[in-house]
Amino acid sequence: MVKRFLMMVFSFLLSLQAFAAPPLYRAYVDGLACPFCVYGIEKKLGQLDGVEKIESNLKTGELRIQMREGKSLTEEQVREAVKSSGFSLRSIGQLEVGQEP
Amino acid sequence: MNRNSATLKYILAGLGLLGGVGIAQAGPITFNTAMPVAEGNFVLREQVLVMRSGDDPSGMTRDMEVNGLISVLGYGASEKLALFGALPYLDKELKLHESGDSIMRSSSGLGDLTLFGRYTLYQNDLPGKTFRVGGFAGMEVPTGEDDKRDALSKLPPSLQLGSGSWDGFAGIVATWQTLDYQLDGQIAYRNNGEANHFEVGDEWRLDASLQYRLWPAELGAGVPGFLYGVLELNVVEQEKNRLAGNTDNNSGGTTVFLSPGIQYVSKRWVWEAVLQKPVVQNLNGSALENDYVLRTGFRVSF
Repeated sequence: MVKRFLMMVFSFLLSLQAFAAPPLYRAYVDGLACPFCVYGIEKKLGQLDGVEKIESNLKTGELRIQMREGKSLTEEQVREAVKSSGFSLRSIGQLEVGQEP
Repeated sequence: MNRNSATLKYILAGLGLLGGVGIAQAGPITFNTAMPVAEGNFVLREQVLVMRSGDDPSGMTRDMEVNGLISVLGYGASEKLALFGALPYLDKELKLHESGDSIMRSSSGLGDLTLFGRYTLYQNDLPGKTFRVGGFAGMEVPTGEDDKRDALSKLPPSLQLGSGSWDGFAGIVATWQTLDYQLDGQIAYRNNGEANHFEVGDEWRLDASLQYRLWPAELGAGVPGFLYGVLELNVVEQEKNRLAGNTDNNSGGTTVFLSPGIQYVSKRWVWEAVLQKPVVQNLNGSALENDYVLRTGFRVSF
C-alpha cells in the first residue's frame, strides 16, 4: 500500500516537472550550407522574446531552440526570423520531455 | 599626363582597386556573392592588398607598387537587400627610368568611397544547399584626392588617390552553395566617368570561383569551421582610355587572372588569402603588365 502510494507521488512529481520544463523546439532550415550563415539566423532567433539558448547542427540544418520558463514560440515567429535572415524554414516542432537526446 | 600614367591607371581600375565591387559575405575573395546578409546584421571586411606591376614593354623599366587596406561594411537592410560601403587606404609608388635618370613618385591616403546595393532576385533553398541570383549596382564617389602634387609636378592619375570621377557599375551574380563546395559566377560592367580631361576605359568583368571544403573531411555535429581551398578566375576586358578627347592606344586590353587561395570560415569570422596571377595579358601598346596581386584579410559578422 505504502509502496503504491509512493509510486503515485513519484509519478505526480515527474509530471509536474514535465509541466514546468521550459519548451524546447526543433526547427529545420533549408538553404543553410556554410558556418558564416548560421550566425545571422541564431542572432535573429536569439532576439525573440524568451529564447534562452540555440544549438545548431549545420549538417542536418537543425536548430534546437531552448526557451526560458513560461515562454513559448509560434511557428510564425520562427518562420519570420529565419526568412529575415535570408533562409527558409522547412519545419518546426516542440520536443517533449525525454525526446531530446 | 603622359601615356604611361594612363596605362597604369588602367591596371588599377582593371583590378577593381579604384572602386571594384567589394564584398562582405562568405564567398569569393576577389568578387561578389549572392549569399545574404541577415536583416539587421553587419559584416565588416578588412582586406590587405599588395600589387606589383613591373613587366614593362616600353623599355622605361617602370615599377608600380600599390599597398592598401580596403575596409568594407555591409548591412542587411532586408532579407533580400544588402547595402555596402567600401573605402580604401592606399600607398602607391612608381619608379621609372628615363634618359638615364631614376625617378620615384608616390602618394598615400584614403581613396574613393564605393557605395552599392545587392538585391536577391532568385532564391531556391534546399536541405544543405541553396541557389541564388542577385543583382547589384553602385557608384564610386570621388572622395579621394585627385590633385596631389610632389616636388616635380602634379602626380599622374595612376598615383592619385582618387579618380575624380563618378563611376557607376552594375552586374549579376549567381551562387550555388552546398555543404561540400560553393560555386559563384559574376558578370559586371563598369562605366567610368571623366575627370581632369581623363577618362579610364569602361570595363567588363567575368568572374568565377570554386570553394571546396578541405577540412573537416566529414561533417559532424554542431557548426564546425570550414577550411576551403579556393580557385578563382577573373577576366577583365577594358576599353581604351581617353585623354583630352583622344583615345590612348597604349591602354586597355584583356587580362585573365587565375587566383588560387585559401579561406577559413567559422560562424562569425572568415580568414582568407588569394594570389591573383595573370595568365593572359593581351594589353594594347606599351601598357604596363601586372606581376601579381595578393589579397588577404578577414570578415566578421556582428
